[in-house]
Amino acid sequence: MAIINSPDTQGATTSPRRPEDKDSFVRLAVKVLTTTDHKVIGNLYFVTTMAWFIVGGLMALIIRAELYTPGLQVVDNPDQFNQLFTMHGTIMLLMFATPLFAGFANALVPLQIGAPDVAFPRLNMLAYWMYFFGSLVAVGGFLTPGGAASFGWFAYQPLAGPTHSPGLGGDLWVLGLAVTGFATIFGAVNFITTIVCMRAPGMTMFRMPIFTWNILITSILVLMVFPVLAAAFFGMAADRIFGWHIYDPEYGGALLWQHLFWFFGHPEVYIIALPFFGIITEIIPVFSRKPIFGYKTLIFATMAIAALSVSVWAHHMYATGAILLEFFAIMTMLIAVPTGVKFFNWIGTMWKGSVKLDTPMLWAVGFLVTFLFGGLTGVILASPALDFQVTDSYFVVAHFHYVVFGTVVFAMFAGYYFWWPKLTGHMLNETWGKVHFWLLFLGFHGTFLIQHFLGVIGMPRRYADYMPEDGFTWMNQVSTVSSFVLAVSMLPFFYNVWQSFRTPKVTVDDPWGWGGSLEWATSCPPPRHNFDAIPRIRSERPVFDLHHPEVGTMESPEPDKSVAEELLGGPDTDPRGRVGTETGGRTGEER
Amino acid sequence: MKAEAKVFAYLIPFFLLVGVIYAYFTGLSEWVGILGLLLTAVMTGFVAWFFWLSGRTVDARPEDNLEGEIADQAGDYGHFAPYSWWPLWLGLSTTVVVLGVAVGWWLTVVATPFLVVSILGWTFEYFRGEKAV
Ligand code: HEM
Ligand SMILES: [Cu+2]
Repeated sequence: MAIINSPDTQGATTSPRRPEDKDSFVRLAVKVLTTTDHKVIGNLYFVTTMAWFIVGGLMALIIRAELYTPGLQVVDNPDQFNQLFTMHGTIMLLMFATPLFAGFANALVPLQIGAPDVAFPRLNMLAYWMYFFGSLVAVGGFLTPGGAASFGWFAYQPLAGPTHSPGLGGDLWVLGLAVTGFATIFGAVNFITTIVCMRAPGMTMFRMPIFTWNILITSILVLMVFPVLAAAFFGMAADRIFGWHIYDPEYGGALLWQHLFWFFGHPEVYIIALPFFGIITEIIPVFSRKPIFGYKTLIFATMAIAALSVSVWAHHMYATGAILLEFFAIMTMLIAVPTGVKFFNWIGTMWKGSVKLDTPMLWAVGFLVTFLFGGLTGVILASPALDFQVTDSYFVVAHFHYVVFGTVVFAMFAGYYFWWPKLTGHMLNETWGKVHFWLLFLGFHGTFLIQHFLGVIGMPRRYADYMPEDGFTWMNQVSTVSSFVLAVSMLPFFYNVWQSFRTPKVTVDDPWGWGGSLEWATSCPPPRHNFDAIPRIRSERPVFDLHHPEVGTMESPEPDKSVAEELLGGPDTDPRGRVGTETGGRTGEER
Repeated sequence: MKAEAKVFAYLIPFFLLVGVIYAYFTGLSEWVGILGLLLTAVMTGFVAWFFWLSGRTVDARPEDNLEGEIADQAGDYGHFAPYSWWPLWLGLSTTVVVLGVAVGWWLTVVATPFLVVSILGWTFEYFRGEKAV
């Protein structure tokens, strides 16, 4: 039994079940395949999601190449094109972005709360394997004679039913995704339990890093909506495979599916957004050299976003004409309020700070810019009168790529550059990181900015072809050329990763020098059960307090705590009570 | 456990309210949303209740103490599997069982015994041997 005070860290390698005569590669492989260490599982998620990101990205490049000029040059027939955008969307959302949430949560949550591992290490690994195999099943449709699913990632019925989309590809799609869906649920249960039960002494809920808060809230969201998706998928599988009639349009099945799917689908975009907001919130204070501004408001804003996101699903269904337009328009626009609060806090953190544009911060700023733009077009789409004009056009494609690419990809790279030393024990090169950033930034905005205008002049989404007379050509060419710049931007990243392993090991706990949360209190990478010693926790940045005792409470003097301060103020930094420090926080002395 | 319970408890009135508003203005015509919202309220209520109850039955926890010291948690922490083969086998066999539904029942039939063995292996892994609990 592994006990933390005398951790059984060698158990994995010296057990008699592991014959010594195996060579080291096999031993390493066995170690990885059977691991229950949250850090290794996190790395497995990182590698696997990066692989899917590349596969999905290559599909996007084929789509873009096809749209370069009128006519079909790259794909043989429109059905192949349909398969490509369907699987691109499916892969990016459910095999790249969603598991990446599990990856970052695994890699960081136990470290940030001072726990030796997650609550259920074996369940954790089971979730990974179900994701791994389930996604292979879903994409395996490409190997079947009829090809992969081609009904769009939201599988509208009856198009995705047995009559209109027969074939094994669609069956594999729905069953494979059902398996990965359960993986996500298991992951969420694990993170909630870990956060509730395994925090270090003194780590009260309102001292947890915002990233961990966001993982908690995201996991709650997963528990609310992934079961609905599972139910919807079981119905779809029953229709397709056993000839049931759950989604038969004669009995209102078409709308039933859309409601069930989007009840999951909209919160899903927040499931892939909130963890990445958390990453950004960790990075901005460190590189602004200031504590986070409005800690509690950030948490309440995140909770408000999560709660509201469950009540806006049918804004994806405006065009059906069969939903309560006012309700969904109002609820959707309401989400802009807490999101604005978050921007206010992020900017407030940077305000008058000593902002250092190291690569993690550069990516964080790239996120702010990109996501802000996606949010603005989101408010446009939330208004039914405007949405009717551009729905299912390239305007929508541009909108959601600004949102998902801004959050997932920009914040993912921000997180990689920031935590790379913690994950691997090496630093990534700053110069290559900046080359990577600028190539990707220009490539991204070149690809997607112009698509807004394409949508406005009428180019529909999901079309394999258009005509020269449509006047879409030059804009599509700008977009396609930029998308190849975007693809090329991955090369400096891979080079950087490869180079980083040849740099000397990081020997300090906190290579950035201003880290705040507990992951910076242990070595890079941490030992098997994470900590040799945990510092005392008296604020939301125990490591900053440890490494910069001279700053102490000076940075955040504690006034008398009024009700507003109690509700909206900083984290629990004043344990003795509601009266503030006797010294006014000037000397940094604790009373 | 107060803060944990509250995180869930605050969601109950929200989903009840939104559920009722939605039910009223749709004239009880769209049941996915009504049931979805109200059942979400039930789920959060269930978790909040459970956390509230466990908060009352366990002793005060050092992690909820604003002045908790790391040493407060010294001692036996819990059981953590050092490594395990079972997640791999359970994940693989589950996926193949499900895959069989699409490609042919014979595959499900072949894979089910492996699934059963994996579940048994997982369950009894720490019932015997040097790391038994
Ligand atoms: C690597 C850069 C990317 C490029 C160049 C790209 C390009 C495209 C293109 C060309 C389409 C098809 C539009 C159509 O014809 O309707 C598309 C659809 C889509 N993309 Fe991307 N994309 C990228 C990254 C991402 C990411 C990171 C995500 C999500 C995390 C994502 C999610 C989606 C979704 C959900 C669809 C809709 C699929 C459907 O219509 O069923 N994409 N993308
Ligand atoms: Cu939505």
